[in-house]
Amino acid sequence: MVRRVAFPQAADPDVRAAPPGRRPLLLALTLLVGLGTAQAQEPAPEAARPAPTVVSPPTAPPAPAGESLDPSLSPECRVPGSKLYTLAKLHAVKTALKEKRPVRVLAVGSTSAGPGASASYPVKLETALERSLPDVDVVVEARGLQGEIASGAAERLRSMVADVEPDLVIWQVGTHDALARVELDAFADALDETVKWVKSHDIDVVLVDPVYTASLAEDEYYLSIVRKVQEVAAREGVPLVQRYAAMRFLSGRGDKGEDHMLGRQFRLNDLGLRCMAEHVTRAITLSLLQPDTTGTAGPVLGKSLLPSPRDGAHGPQVNPTPDAH
Amino acid sequence: MRDANAIDFWRGLALVTIFINHIPGNTFERYTYSQYGISDAAELFVFLAGWSIGIATRGRDGRPEPALRSVLRLMSRTIEVYRAQITVMAIALAMIAGTALLLDNPLILEWHNAGTFFADPIQTIVGVVLLSHQLGFFNILPLYVVLLGIAPVFILLARVSRIAALALSVGLYLTSLVEEWNLPSWPGEGDWFFDPLCWQLLLVLGFVLEDWNRRSDTLRRWARRLMPLGVGLVLLGIVLSVLELRPDPLLVPEPRLIFTFDKTYLSPARLIHVLGVLLAFQGVYAVLAPRIGGIVRYLTSLGRNSLAVFSMGSVFSLAGQLLRFWTGGGLLIDLIIVAFGLFALGFTAWFVEWRSRKPRIPT
Repeated sequence: MVRRVAFPQAADPDVRAAPPGRRPLLLALTLLVGLGTAQAQEPAPEAARPAPTVVSPPTAPPAPAGESLDPSLSPECRVPGSKLYTLAKLHAVKTALKEKRPVRVLAVGSTSAGPGASASYPVKLETALERSLPDVDVVVEARGLQGEIASGAAERLRSMVADVEPDLVIWQVGTHDALARVELDAFADALDETVKWVKSHDIDVVLVDPVYTASLAEDEYYLSIVRKVQEVAAREGVPLVQRYAAMRFLSGRGDKGEDHMLGRQFRLNDLGLRCMAEHVTRAITLSLLQPDTTGTAGPVLGKSLLPSPRDGAHGPQVNPTPDAH
Repeated sequence: MRDANAIDFWRGLALVTIFINHIPGNTFERYTYSQYGISDAAELFVFLAGWSIGIATRGRDGRPEPALRSVLRLMSRTIEVYRAQITVMAIALAMIAGTALLLDNPLILEWHNAGTFFADPIQTIVGVVLLSHQLGFFNILPLYVVLLGIAPVFILLARVSRIAALALSVGLYLTSLVEEWNLPSWPGEGDWFFDPLCWQLLLVLGFVLEDWNRRSDTLRRWARRLMPLGVGLVLLGIVLSVLELRPDPLLVPEPRLIFTFDKTYLSPARLIHVLGVLLAFQGVYAVLAPRIGGIVRYLTSLGRNSLAVFSMGSVFSLAGQLLRFWTGGGLLIDLIIVAFGLFALGFTAWFVEWRSRKPRIPT
């Protein structure tokens, strides 16, 4: 079951101030997320009533200089949560945490963190995840996956997964299929089947959808590919990093900072690559805070392409400790 | 220019198949035989390369040429293939970058593994030259460079004992399969798309079988007897690929590469399938050749000039991919791309032969 957590433009301070929890596992999940992230909900007495889940920093207009809004995302990557992810449970990673063994992550897709990056994407990802999950050893293996999901790549992904035997697969998906303009249904079916397969082996999946760029903003086919990734994530109940929506949001922000020799779209693309490790980490750490109960919790705020979760959810039983503040 | 023969014919067909399959998503992809079997054109191509080495390293009378000459010949071929790979990679990267600029679309930079180059050219250019950085669809020539580079070992050993050469090859294959040995990709993690340590077996098989075939007719007799088995394997391959039946790599026992249908490591299922294909189609050329003269002439001309045709084919199929993306594809576009591509492959072959016939202009 996917639960989407959406974020009001300004997080409610009362919600943010939720008391820290006591569950040992979740203590380990302490987020470095700042104000408003590790929002927790009270062990809900009124379990049937969905409670707002507020996980993200206030979005929108960049903070006035000097004011720290959210230490979890660097300023240039700051995006409202509703634009950044949909959350779902990560059972295998939780199990690894419980067993106090290293979390093995297979990062599939581009491994670049943009030109002139401080480190490659897998290194940044590993660092960011370890920072978010103190005392947890995270091992990231990264692999490029050439070919289309609709043809041979799904098969190669299976081999990779068998090779690495990870707890979690973080899969940037859709770019190659979009470039080849494969049939939408062939893409969606193959993706769905592959995600199902990974899950059937008790391995978690996080999907990352393709990038936003202006010249494709009106391309119906490309939008459909992005939508298909979202649909599969929703259907299979796996977290999704909405790279498309996040970059679109970033593109609409006031264009400050250095220009790019090749123009705005290339600058945005570099930014997207730079921010990816943070964005993915954010979706994972928040997904780990999802309650173990099978019911749904939390209303959906904000608009989304995804179907709404059922009502009548159980209250979450998670009380992360916002240690950053 | 050698006469039309079965080797060049099948190699030509493999080249056309690779060209079409390297434009993923196009309408004609589903009509290539790669979609109907466990192995595909790559296996056929490497096996036939081994067979051709057998022919090339002997005189017309079948006597092996001097060892040093064979070594130099293979070294010279290795350099040619390496040069082709570097040239084609440079053109491909420029085509990808150029299209991204033209369409103001950085998404294109993420084309199969190219993103690493554009984000980190300093390390990646080293990887390109070392062949440890490969673009998707541009990974057969690096395999071929390594195979030709190590071929002298097997070829000279086979002159002493074919069994020894085969045993060495099978031993290396099985060890690599069990231990998952492969050459590393760099920069970045992961390994080569085609593992030369496994794929060398097909080359050596091609070479050894050619030798055996020339020396006695035992192989031919057995091949004829086993033809029904080959047909059975081909039919099995069709059923498995159409129904998408394949082993689950997480459920098969260790060492799992023995049981999966893995392309990178040329797992045994693929190897058996390609041998089945060879058995099933061994006599087809003789039947077809008199009936489809034009097609035979076309395909054999491609096969005779396989390196040039393959290299240009890679560039044309990349152009086809970019064009499909830009225009949105569709049957008409696919038809234009494939028609142009087939013409261009034929022209490439013709042009190479014309150039070699033409006396060089003195400088």
